[in-house]
Amino acid sequence: MKLLKLNISGVRGIVGQTITPELIIDFASAFGLMLPPGMVLVGRDSRKSGLMIQEAVIAALLSTGHEVINLGICPTPIVQYLVKVHRAVGAIAITAGHNPGDWNALNFLNKEGTYLNEFQGLEFLDIYHLGKFSHQKLKRIPTVINELNPEEIYFSWLLNKIKKEEISRAKFKVVVDPCNGAGSRLVDKFFSWLGCELIAINNEPSGYFPHDPEPRPRNAGEVASLVRATGGNIGFLLNSDASRVSLVTENGETLSEEYTLPVVASHYLKQDPGPVVTSLSTSRMIDEVARKFQVPLIRTRVGQSALIQAMIQEQASMAGEGSGGVAFKNFQLAFDAFIIMGLILEMMALEQKKLSDLIRPLPRYHLVKDKIICPPHRLHSLVAECRKLYPRAEINSLDGLHLSLKDCWVHIRASNTEPLVRIIAESPSAVRAQLEVDKVVSFLNRLLG
Amino acid sequence: MRKQLSLKVGISGVRGIVGESLTPKIVARLASAFGTYIGQGQVLVGQDSRPSGTILKRAVLSGLLATGCQPVEVGILPIPTILFLTKEKKARGAVVVTASHNPPEWNGLKFIGSDGLYLHPAQVEEFLDIFHQGEFTYVSAERIKPGIQEKNAGETHLDKIISKLKVNTIRPRKLRVVADCANGAGAILLPQLLKELGCEFLVINDDLSGSFAHKSEPTPENLKELSRRVKEFKADLGLAQDVDADRLALVDEKGHPLGEDLTLALSVEQVLRRRKGPVVVNLSASMAIEEIAARFRVPVYRTKIGETNVVEMMLETGAVVGGEGNGGVIWPEIHPCRDSLTASGLILESLAETSQSLSEVAASFRKYHLVKEKFYCPAELAFRALVELRHRYQRENVSTLDGLKIIWPDSWIHLRASNTEPIIRLIAESRSAARSQKLIENFKLEIKKIIKRLG
Repeated sequence: MKLLKLNISGVRGIVGQTITPELIIDFASAFGLMLPPGMVLVGRDSRKSGLMIQEAVIAALLSTGHEVINLGICPTPIVQYLVKVHRAVGAIAITAGHNPGDWNALNFLNKEGTYLNEFQGLEFLDIYHLGKFSHQKLKRIPTVINELNPEEIYFSWLLNKIKKEEISRAKFKVVVDPCNGAGSRLVDKFFSWLGCELIAINNEPSGYFPHDPEPRPRNAGEVASLVRATGGNIGFLLNSDASRVSLVTENGETLSEEYTLPVVASHYLKQDPGPVVTSLSTSRMIDEVARKFQVPLIRTRVGQSALIQAMIQEQASMAGEGSGGVAFKNFQLAFDAFIIMGLILEMMALEQKKLSDLIRPLPRYHLVKDKIICPPHRLHSLVAECRKLYPRAEINSLDGLHLSLKDCWVHIRASNTEPLVRIIAESPSAVRAQLEVDKVVSFLNRLLG
Repeated sequence: MRKQLSLKVGISGVRGIVGESLTPKIVARLASAFGTYIGQGQVLVGQDSRPSGTILKRAVLSGLLATGCQPVEVGILPIPTILFLTKEKKARGAVVVTASHNPPEWNGLKFIGSDGLYLHPAQVEEFLDIFHQGEFTYVSAERIKPGIQEKNAGETHLDKIISKLKVNTIRPRKLRVVADCANGAGAILLPQLLKELGCEFLVINDDLSGSFAHKSEPTPENLKELSRRVKEFKADLGLAQDVDADRLALVDEKGHPLGEDLTLALSVEQVLRRRKGPVVVNLSASMAIEEIAARFRVPVYRTKIGETNVVEMMLETGAVVGGEGNGGVIWPEIHPCRDSLTASGLILESLAETSQSLSEVAASFRKYHLVKEKFYCPAELAFRALVELRHRYQRENVSTLDGLKIIWPDSWIHLRASNTEPIIRLIAESRSAARSQKLIENFKLEIKKIIKRLG
């Protein structure tokens, strides 16, 4: 099966199979045609296929008459920040985030530096499907500016917004695994500015991924043993474009990526109390935090695009989800690993607490995730079939099927990025959560034959 | 009337109007097809000075990277330099983003094999089959090899040329030269060559921002500025490259353009002075070549029009020099391709060695007068007219290698239908300008009569 996933904020697939120069040129041309004249930023994570895609993207954008600033290897949140700095009309971030190394994707960003919202995304797909990429004749000399060290202006902005003296004074010892992604090397600068002692592994933006670039306990073993061995205060894992983080405590406990949002929220909401946006698939730990701060909690569809759109609509203080990506109104409308790491260190410094102490107030839930590979054309109908399993449950169908049961919730949905049905259940009881997931999985397997 | 199609896919590569017919997507597909055809390895990527090269080069890089080739970007360089480097660096091949003499809104691609020669027609056919079938061998992500950017890659070519010239003869002469680079890639290397050869020189039209000061063919009507500058600078000669830097025309010390066929004649003579051996030129080159070859007692072979044909015959016959009457000189000591840099070196060496002025040297060839003409005629009619003419002149000495060439003891005429446009080209040569012109007029009339009857 050739995998290609189209959604409103981008196109994603396996390099050489579906991600080819031709396809990239078509999509980037359609994006260029949608944008008004002006400057477009192009950045990529460290994947080896990134260069091939970057060249095709730049060729397409130049031929739709745009000027291009080529940021080279650059974390997506930094691309998103620079869109505003350069007053660009849009940007393309070439990254498949947490997907394995053979994947890549184009992510389309608007002039606010956010992922295309629903309406922009639909307009974009219309242009793509129309397929008329008639380029204008060349009117002026095509311009490509290579911006070296694009992170500098970003860091000087960011470091003014977090309490770096307090962090510096705490003399933290930090272990980081950027997974040889776009955040590699940049973490050196970042943590040295924060006065932390840094122990970094997989810290070359070579595109060789020692493990899947997904920040989660399964991939955190090395960081955990380094934290223990060096007496580190905290460990961080990043995905390939430095938009998501998962945490490791000073004891070497590898925390689920679900913890990132509630931990950072319990600090950030002190400075900026306001509504919190999260997805239907995210752990109920955040409900507890919102309750404590007496702020509304809004649940919406999964994915950065939907969350940011809701954040704007609800004038929320922050938005984030269980994958470890969080955005903050006082910073920028983007999932940003550097901001998350900075805020968590700030929290530890100000409260003079260890990470294990900070997570203690959070309720302990058990979240079980599973997935079933499924032909793309059957994804949504299979999800809908699962209704039959829960005739009496309270149903939210905003994004697949979200079922609220007594002491448990189950979310069954089609993945935005891969031909998968994802099944997630959470309950105070591990047995219960596993039971519900197993029930859905065996039901779906029966349907798939 | 049907709109003229602007995308040309042919044996000499691909050309089109940027944005209209030559889109990044087509270019990426062509590069993917080329990468699939030549297999994974290093591929040179060069370009001429056209602004749209910035766009299309990136589409080429993408197609090559996706098919597992490692692109070596050499930037803006003369075509002969890229041909030379392809072989020198043992690359799998090269792609050049260029449209030679087409107007500025055009651009195109040329494809070069590992031998440093343009793909020959059979190879082009294989390559285009892959392009049309559209099945490219895209590699998986971990097999993509990042490209390399090489600065000053052209110096290797200059070093080779200088190493083969009699530099110790040329340098002391301190020849004064005005060079017109036609705003082409020749501007990257010609000034450095002149410097190395001890010349005092002035360079004009060396700005590579993509605007052209004059039409790029180095024909006398395009060389007015050069002629004037040669006189002002009191130069010994003027050198005029075409935009690809494969052809060279000369202006003598009095400011007279000499005609491109003379570049070939002088270069052939200079090479034969160094080393005797067969000479290969195309059917349209001047009779002067035979006269020079006779002096050195070496054979001359004539080929169909087209650089590839000349090169192929040179390699077959072990020729020591060859070329085309349009100022394209091929000296295989450097590389078997037309090269204005090599030709410049040979001309300077000839002047230094003979201690004659260029007008004196040229005078010995002044007895030949070459006249060119073309007129509109659809390909099908042109073909039938030439068949009929061949019958009428079958008692004369004729060659049908490429169109029709009729040869008399001290004159000839060559008639052929263009491959690319609906025109017939006529070239005649004799010992008087009037007679050459008369030959052209007579045949033009005769063909038109035939066409009228056939049409």
